[in-house]
Amino acid sequence: MDELLLSVISGISSGAVYGLVGLGLVIIYRSTDVMNFAIGTIALACMYLALSVHNAGIPLAFAILVGIAVCSLFGVGAREVLIRPLGPGALFSALVVTMGLSLIVEDVTRNIWGGEPRTFPALVEGTATISGATFTNQQLLVIPVAAVAMLGIAYMFKRTPLGSAMRAVAESSGTATLLGIKPQRVARVAWALGMGLAALGAAMLVPTVGLTIGGFAAILFRSFAGIFLGGLTSMYGAVIGGVIVGILDNLAATYVSASLRDTFVFSLVILVLLVRPQGLFGEKSFARV
Amino acid sequence: MRFASMLAVALTALAITACGGDESESGASGSGPIKVGAWFPLTGPVAASGIPQKEGATAAFEAMNAEGGINGRKFEYIAQDNAFDPQQTVQAARALVGEEEVVAIVAANGTAPSAAAFPYVLNQAKVPIINTYGGAADWYEPPRPLLFGYQTLYEDQGAAAGAWAAEDGHKNILVIRSDPAAFAAVAKYVEPGAKSADPSVSVDELVVKFQTTDYSPIAGQVKAKNPDAVVLILAFPEAAAYLKQAALQGLDIPAYGYAPTADEGLIKLGGQATEGFKAVSLNKPAMDPSPEMQEYRKALKQYAPDEQPSANSAAAYAAANSFAEVVKGIDGDVTAESIAKAFESAGPVETGILPPLKWDRENHLGTNQIQRVEVKGGKFVAVGDFTEPPPVVGN
Repeated sequence: MDELLLSVISGISSGAVYGLVGLGLVIIYRSTDVMNFAIGTIALACMYLALSVHNAGIPLAFAILVGIAVCSLFGVGAREVLIRPLGPGALFSALVVTMGLSLIVEDVTRNIWGGEPRTFPALVEGTATISGATFTNQQLLVIPVAAVAMLGIAYMFKRTPLGSAMRAVAESSGTATLLGIKPQRVARVAWALGMGLAALGAAMLVPTVGLTIGGFAAILFRSFAGIFLGGLTSMYGAVIGGVIVGILDNLAATYVSASLRDTFVFSLVILVLLVRPQGLFGEKSFARV
Repeated sequence: MRFASMLAVALTALAITACGGDESESGASGSGPIKVGAWFPLTGPVAASGIPQKEGATAAFEAMNAEGGINGRKFEYIAQDNAFDPQQTVQAARALVGEEEVVAIVAANGTAPSAAAFPYVLNQAKVPIINTYGGAADWYEPPRPLLFGYQTLYEDQGAAAGAWAAEDGHKNILVIRSDPAAFAAVAKYVEPGAKSADPSVSVDELVVKFQTTDYSPIAGQVKAKNPDAVVLILAFPEAAAYLKQAALQGLDIPAYGYAPTADEGLIKLGGQATEGFKAVSLNKPAMDPSPEMQEYRKALKQYAPDEQPSANSAAAYAAANSFAEVVKGIDGDVTAESIAKAFESAGPVETGILPPLKWDRENHLGTNQIQRVEVKGGKFVAVGDFTEPPPVVGN
């Protein structure tokens, strides 16, 4: 029983990280139609910065907030300088640009902080044991953080003028403009929010896995699986999809094969998408012809 | 007019001959630097190993150059990034051999990436590849004319780790390995190595997806299997992740590893959870108090001040030094050909960091010895002296 509990709870914890990063991806995608492949490397780079800030004497929580803030600002800057000039509809170009940006950021991170792995202190120390399975408090912290983020973003989208504006721009940028909404401002907010969430996810993860250049690749991969599983149009779906991926990943490793966890998980994602292409929580879209 | 034309032609011919004969540009002869090169993963997921190796080898050559080089000639060491990618390695090889005209590839990194460059470097350009960090049995059996190594084969390392676990009295050993074939090839020899020490040992295997970050299900499986010891055939970040998770779940199961796990990065990432971890290393631990290791740390501090001492950089440092030691004995031009010839009857070369190295016509792998190390007090310490692994590879 404790083996199952260990797999599920640590899967939820890992999945919450995938969910936070996935939520960031979805917010950016829904508002600007850009799938930001650089989200992981930028978030990780900002955690290197947070560690440097902390090592300079700033309390850890503030240092992490600095990292998140810088990540948000960097995201806005990248959007304004690299993506916006591509113009509307340049989806493939934007994709390639974000891939290139990812490589550049990784290289710059290495040049500044070196290639050696680093430990990142935990926000909360200590462990908790549940039915014989032990977890770090840091691992467990991720779960409520992701839940609050998910609920907060969902509330914002459904109940606030900003959220309505973002949904309007996602539906139709032209119509939103006619209604007095400024799509560029909405896009900037979306990028800031999306990047901030990814940085929050990274901040939750790195105390467990450490800081290693390129160490976010596997996380990003699973975040993408989560958003496709959950549905690209759903905020809830992004997080819940990520959590499902995390749980399935661990269950596959425990009960099927630790070497086939990716195969198992992504086979399931593909099956779901074949039956329900919009994902578990996404909305079907129709085009009038 | 006719005399002027003839004089112009003669002068032109003389100029062309002078340019074409400037072999010091290629590092082959004369008083110019000896140009050597290497490829390392300076970007990508293996950069954490590649960068220290590049810094270690560079520090060695810089230190030698500060002493005047060898036989009055300094080294020019050119490092290229291959991102641990075979195709990029071939490009790096073309840049080093074709454009820079290096006379040897020294202390490069990577088994599969380096092998991708063999057709061009060894077969086409006929430039020797010396002391690569990496290697496979088929690199040296049969010996390839221009390929010489120093690193005990990964397979022998696996056998040595298994033998150590068995010698310590563990009867039921679990090998935890990553899924790519390179890891499988090493893990295959843990059991024969263990059985060479104790035929009654039983060995099981648990395969893990490469680049796994969450080792809690793995720890759960280990708990369920309840072995006496585990042998980790994993990259060191994953070995650290396993050790941390095992400690968290209260698994008091001794762990052993092969050379890639004997990396200071393991201790950095794994912290207290790595205490007591045993591994077989290619060289003396980076913080070993011996004079040779102190020399290495001094060179690293001077020429790579941002680099912390590590097994990786120490191995590359010694690989570069042993190369220079052999080249020192060349009488005449230092060319690709003369280097290869020198290595066919070289050694023993004692670096004090690596095991004693000796090459000959039949044996292009300089050593098969390993150094046992253990994490004590937050650092790797040597356990005994260099020792040979059980002779199970190739049997």
